Amino acid sequence: MITIGKLAGLTSVSNDTLRYYEAEGLISPAGKSPAGYRLYDPDSARRIHFIKHAQQCGFTLAEIRDLLDVRSSDKACCGDVRTRAIEKKLQIESKIRAMKAMSKALDQLISECANEKRPVEECTIIAALERANGSKRVQ
Amino acid sequence: MFYSPGCAACEDRQAELRSAAQEAVKDLEWLDVNVIDNMDTAVELGVITLPSIVIDGEVVFTSLPTRAQLCKALTVRSGARK
Repeated sequence: MITIGKLAGLTSVSNDTLRYYEAEGLISPAGKSPAGYRLYDPDSARRIHFIKHAQQCGFTLAEIRDLLDVRSSDKACCGDVRTRAIEKKLQIESKIRAMKAMSKALDQLISECANEKRPVEECTIIAALERANGSKRVQ
Repeated sequence: MFYSPGCAACEDRQAELRSAAQEAVKDLEWLDVNVIDNMDTAVELGVITLPSIVIDGEVVFTSLPTRAQLCKALTVRSGARK
């Protein structure tokens, strides 16, 4: 059994983050020391590495909790995990598409504002944004 | 219907839902779309969960419907087009 500090050292995650993972139901201590400190079994480090890798792939903590449940389920198969990974990719691709559209809209605003020395009340970007708000209100 | 290969739930119900749909609407064109091979199309249509059923370009079901739910959705749209 290892203390929270030792687990933090092994996984390069802060004590606060470990407590947060615990509050979110991602990890739980195996017990407590006589002095009342949390004690974790060594497999917790593996679980935390799993959480970190999943976060790097864009999974939220709720989704990671679901993945961890699948990981420990006897009935689950690789296809269940694969479907979740594909769904995450769909979400990421959708966000990329939305962000590209935002970037394109900004490109247009930037190119329309050719004279940066004009006073701010004549700023074409601000005018365009105000027009955009106005048209949205009408809808 | 957008699905991922290896999705046991999709495979179990795909044929059943396809035949229900074809019975409900005459001349219906049903496509089973492997999302891995059609990622761009899926993203364009707004598919983010699997399996999803898209009817006339609109995501209508984000999980597998019952036969009755699917038939109702199809007949409502089919009726609206007439």
